[in-house]
Amino acid sequence: MASIEAPARPRSSSAVKRAFERYPFLPALIILVVLIALNGWFQPRSLSLVGVTGLVKTYLALMLLAVAQTYVIYAGDIDLSAGAIVSLVNVVIVGVMAQWGGDGVTIVAALAIGLATGLACGIVNGIVVAALRLQAIVATFATSIFFTGLALYIQPVAGTPAPTAFWRTYGGRILEIPFVFHVVVLFAVLLAILVRTRLSLRLLAVGDGQQESYQSGLPVTAIRMGGYALCGVFAALAAFCITGDTASGDPLVGGKMTLFSIAAVVLGGSALSGGYGTVVGSVIGALIIGFINSLVFFVGTPSEWQNLVQGVAILLALMAGVLVGRRARA
Amino acid sequence: MSRLQLKGVGKSYGATKALRHADLDIEAGEVHVLMGSNGSGKSTLSKIVAGSVRPDTGEILLDGKPVSITGPQAARRLGIAIFYQELSLAAHRTVAENICLADLPSRGVFVDRTALEARAAKYIALFDGVTGDDFSPDAVVQDLRADQRQLVEIMKTLAGEASVLIFDEATSALDRAQVERFFEILRDLKRQGRSIIFISHRMDEIFAIGDRATVIRDGEIVGSRQIAGTTPAEIISMMVGAQEETATVADAAPARPAGPPVLSVRGLTGPGFSDIGFDVRAGEILGFGGLHGQGQSAVLRALFGANSPTAGSVELGGKPLHPKNPRATIRQGVAYVSGDRSRDGVVSGRPILENVMPIHYLRERMMLANPSALAAKALPALQALKTKFAGLGHPISSLSGGNQQKVVIARWLIDRPAVLLLDDPTKGIDLSAKADLFSLIRKLAGEGMGIVLYASEDAELLDNADRILVFNGGAIRRELTGAARTRFNLYQAAYEAA
Amino acid sequence: MSAVTALLRQPLVVALILIAGLLWLGETLSPGFASGQQILRLLIVAALLGIVAAGQNLVILGGREGIDLSVGGVVSLSAIIAGNLMAGDNAGIPLAILACVVAGAFFGLLNGIGVTLLRIPPLVMTLGMLGVLQGLLVVVRQGIPSGRAAPALADFVSRTFLFGLPGILWLWVVIGLVMAFLLNRTVFGHRIYAIGSNEQAAFMAGVPVKAIRIALFVLSGVFAAITGICLLGYSGSSFANVGEQYMLASIIAVVFGGTPLSGGKGGYTGTMAGAFLLVILQSILTTVNIDESGRQMVFGATLLVLMLFYGRGRSMRA
Repeated sequence: MASIEAPARPRSSSAVKRAFERYPFLPALIILVVLIALNGWFQPRSLSLVGVTGLVKTYLALMLLAVAQTYVIYAGDIDLSAGAIVSLVNVVIVGVMAQWGGDGVTIVAALAIGLATGLACGIVNGIVVAALRLQAIVATFATSIFFTGLALYIQPVAGTPAPTAFWRTYGGRILEIPFVFHVVVLFAVLLAILVRTRLSLRLLAVGDGQQESYQSGLPVTAIRMGGYALCGVFAALAAFCITGDTASGDPLVGGKMTLFSIAAVVLGGSALSGGYGTVVGSVIGALIIGFINSLVFFVGTPSEWQNLVQGVAILLALMAGVLVGRRARA
Repeated sequence: MSRLQLKGVGKSYGATKALRHADLDIEAGEVHVLMGSNGSGKSTLSKIVAGSVRPDTGEILLDGKPVSITGPQAARRLGIAIFYQELSLAAHRTVAENICLADLPSRGVFVDRTALEARAAKYIALFDGVTGDDFSPDAVVQDLRADQRQLVEIMKTLAGEASVLIFDEATSALDRAQVERFFEILRDLKRQGRSIIFISHRMDEIFAIGDRATVIRDGEIVGSRQIAGTTPAEIISMMVGAQEETATVADAAPARPAGPPVLSVRGLTGPGFSDIGFDVRAGEILGFGGLHGQGQSAVLRALFGANSPTAGSVELGGKPLHPKNPRATIRQGVAYVSGDRSRDGVVSGRPILENVMPIHYLRERMMLANPSALAAKALPALQALKTKFAGLGHPISSLSGGNQQKVVIARWLIDRPAVLLLDDPTKGIDLSAKADLFSLIRKLAGEGMGIVLYASEDAELLDNADRILVFNGGAIRRELTGAARTRFNLYQAAYEAA
Repeated sequence: MSAVTALLRQPLVVALILIAGLLWLGETLSPGFASGQQILRLLIVAALLGIVAAGQNLVILGGREGIDLSVGGVVSLSAIIAGNLMAGDNAGIPLAILACVVAGAFFGLLNGIGVTLLRIPPLVMTLGMLGVLQGLLVVVRQGIPSGRAAPALADFVSRTFLFGLPGILWLWVVIGLVMAFLLNRTVFGHRIYAIGSNEQAAFMAGVPVKAIRIALFVLSGVFAAITGICLLGYSGSSFANVGEQYMLASIIAVVFGGTPLSGGKGGYTGTMAGAFLLVILQSILTTVNIDESGRQMVFGATLLVLMLFYGRGRSMRA
C-alpha cells in the first residue's frame, strides 16, 4: 500500500498570524529595517539628519502617490493615470505661480487650484471606471494619455521654474526642523484621520466583493468614485512635493512614478485584488524603493549596472513581500 | 391588507424565463415559505423584492401602496432585508463590521466604533451559545467556518430591522442547535408582526416554521397552501408536477455486492478527518452519512487528490494510489463529482462539448481536438444521463442546473473509472434530474464500478447505499448495513458522541 | 433586428466597422490616407503590434488576472540583441533569431514561474520583471555599438515578398492561423479557456493548470522577442526602449479585439483587428495638423469612447 507520511504543515502560531493579519506591512517593515541597516553599514552618513532629510525630500512624492494608489486598490481598482495627474498638477501650479507672481498668497491659491485639479482628475477616473464601468487598467491608461496631453498643452516643454519662495520653503527649515519633516507629521495625522472614516472601511468592503457590497445596500459606484477622488487629491499632494524637490514644471515628471506607486502598494502588503491592505504599508513600500536605490549607489555599483541591480532588488523585494506575507497568514 | 404584494412580476434572462407573471401576497406576522426546485425562480423572486434584480414586468405593493424598488439601497429604506443564499459578506472585514456594513454607525464622516460594536453585540447575543468557539465580534469573516458565516449573514439581515425579511436558504450550513435558535428568533419576529419569506429545501424545517407555503415550478407559481392543512407529499407533488413520480427512487433493498475491493483506505488522516479506513467493493454503493461537514467531503476530496492527506494509505484495484493531485488520481481511474458544480465542475461560458471532454483528453493524452470525433464520444455519455441540450456548441451556462451537473458527470462516462466518488452530487438540482442521476449510478454499480456516495439528504443515502458509514467529528462512528439502514439509526449515529 | 444587434455584439464585427469608419475618416481628412500603399504601411505597423499582442492575448485568456507588463522590455531587449548579433550581415540572422527567442522564452519562463509556483500576482511579477529588463537594457547597450538590421531582415519587413505583401504580413497571417488552430482545435487551447474561465474546475478535471500558465508566459516572451526582431528590421537600427510603447498598446489591442481582461473568452482574430484599429487611430492623429498635446488628448478621449463600444462591465443590478 502507498503510505502517505507528510508531517503536518507547521502552522504559524496564532499570535504571529494575528499580528500579520492586523499589520500586513510587517514583512515590508522588516525589509525596510534591513535596508536601513545596510545603508548605514555601507555609508554611515546616509543615516545622518542631512542624509535622511535628502531621502525623504526625494521620496515624499512617491510616498504620497503610493498612498493615493492604495485607496483605489482598496476597492480592487487601479489607477494607471496617477503619475499623469502628478505631471498635470505640477505644470498647473507652476504655471499659476508664474502667471500671478510668486508671493505667498498666490502660492496658496496655486496649491488650492492644484488640489482642485487633482480632485477633478480623480473624479474623471471615477466616472470612467465606476460609473461607465470600463475596465480600470485600460480606462485609466486612456485617461493618463488625456491628462498628459493636457499637461503638454499647458506647458509644452519642461523648464518653467517654480518661484524661489516655494522650493526654498520645501527644502528649508522651520524651527530648526527641516520643512519636509513637518510635512511628514501632517501627512501622518491626515492618514490617521482617514483610516477612521467611513470611506476607508467601505472601500475595503467593496474590494472584498463588489456584487456582495451592492447587494448589501452599499452605494458601490459612489464609493469607488470616492476612492478615485481621494487618489486624485493625494496625487496632487505628491505633485506639490515633487515641485518643491525639482523646483520646476515638467509635463512628463510623473509618468514614471505610476508603476513605482503600484509596486510600493504591493511591497506594503496590500492585496491588488482589493479588500485588504494599509496605507502605512504603502508608505513603507515607497521608502523601500528609495532605500534600495540609495543602497545600490552606496555599495559602489558601476553606473551602467545600477538600473539592473535596482530592478532585480525591487523584484526580489516584491516577491519576498508577497511570499512572507502569505506564509505568515497561512 | 397584505404587507407585501407582487402582481404579475416577471423576469427573463435572454430566452430563459426565470419568473413568469408571479402573484404573491405576504401577510404581516407570517412566515411564508417558498418551495420549488433550484432554478424554479425562488431566488429571482427574492432578489426582485430585495432590489438586486430588476423585474421586466409587474408591480410590487407594500402595505397596499405601489412602490418602486430601484436597488438594494431603496429596498432597505422601504424596510426589506434579505439573506442571500450565496452570502454577501466582506471576507476581510470583521464580524461586527459585516453586521453593520450596510448602515455604518457614524459620527460625521467617521465610523463610530463604539456604536458599531454595541449594535453588532446585540445581534450576536441572539445566537449566544450556538456560534461555536473562536466566534467573536472582531473575528475576520474569512477565518470562520461555513456555518458561522451563515450566522453572520443572518445577523446582518436581522440588523436591517426590516418589516419584510427574506431568508433564501439560510439554514443550509447550520447545525440542529443553530437552526432551532434561528427558528426561535423567527417566531419572535413573527410575534412582532414582521413578514418573513423563508426558502429551504428541508421539508421538516418548512413544516416546523412555516405558516403558508407557495410552490414555484419553472418560474410559475403553482399554488399556495396553509401549512397546517397540507402534507409533504402534497407539496412535493406540486413541486414536481403531475407527470412525474413523487419519490426520487423506487428500488427496494439494493442487492448485496460480491466483487473484490476496488478501493481500500487505511488510516487516512488530513485536514478535517482522521484515521479513516474502509473498503469499497466492485459493484457496491458505499454511503457516507452524518451531519454535514463532519469530514465526508474532505475524505472524498483527499482521495481524489484535491486536498492533501497527511497520513494513511490508499489502494486502488490492488495497486497503491498516491492522491497527489486530481491529475494523478484521474489517470489511475478515480472519478469525483462535486456538489458545488459552479466552483468545481462547470467551466462556464465554454461550450458543452469542452465541458464533457477534459477527462478524455487527460486519459488519452490527446493533443488535438477534432470536434466531430469528440462529438461521437460526447453524445452517448450525455444521452446516458438524458441530458437536455440544444447543441454541443452551446455554452454550458445556457443549461439548467440539473443539466449542467449531468454534463459534468458525463465527462466521467467516456473512459470508465474504477471508482466513482460522489460528493453530495445532487445539491441544488431538480427532482427529475436527481432521479436520472441515481438510476445511472445504480446502473454503473451494476456494471461493477465501486461508488462512494456522500449525500446530505438522508433519503438519497437510504435509498441508494448498500452500506452507510456515519461520520462525526472527522471520524467514522458507525457502520449501518442491511436492515439497520434506517432513518432512525442514521439520526442516532449522527448525533451520538458528538 | 435582433440579428443585427447580435452581430453588433461581436467584438470582431465592431472592430471591423470601426476600422472601416476610421479609414473613411482618414481619407476625408487627408486624401490618400486609405490608398493601398498607405494601408499596406499601416498593416506592417499593425503586424508589429499584433505579434506582441498574440502573446499578451494568450496570457490574458489564461485568466487569474493574467497580464504581461514586461513585453515592452522584451521587445526592446530582443531588438538590441538582434541588432548586435547580426550587425548588418545576413549571415547573423539565424543566430540572432535563436538568441532572441531563447531570451524571450527565458524571461517568459521566469514570469511564469513567479506567477504560478510562487503565486505572485501577474501584474506585480511582470511589473518587477519590466524593471529588471529596463536595467538590463542599460547594461547590454553600454560599450557595444548600436546594432544594425541585416538587409534581408529589412526586406522581410518592408519589401514585397508574395502577392504584393511583405514577409512580415505573411508571418502575421501564419501566426493568426496558428493561433486560431491552437485555441480552437487543440487540447492545449481548450485547456487555456478552461483555466481562464474556471481554474478550480479545470484543476478538478485534471488540467495541468500551472504548466499551462507557465507555457502562456513563455509564449508571450517568445512573441515579444519576434516583434523585437521585426521592429529592428522596420527601423533599421535598434535604439533604447524602442519597445516601451508596446506594453499598454498590446493590452488595448487585446481588449479592442474582444478579449476581456478577466480572461476565459475571446480569441486572436479579434486582437488582430484590434491592433489594426489602434494603429489606424494613431496614424490619423499624426496626419491631422494638431500639436502633440492636442493629439494626446484626442487619442486618450477616443480610446475611452471606443472602449464604450466594446461593452461595459455588467451592471450590478441584474
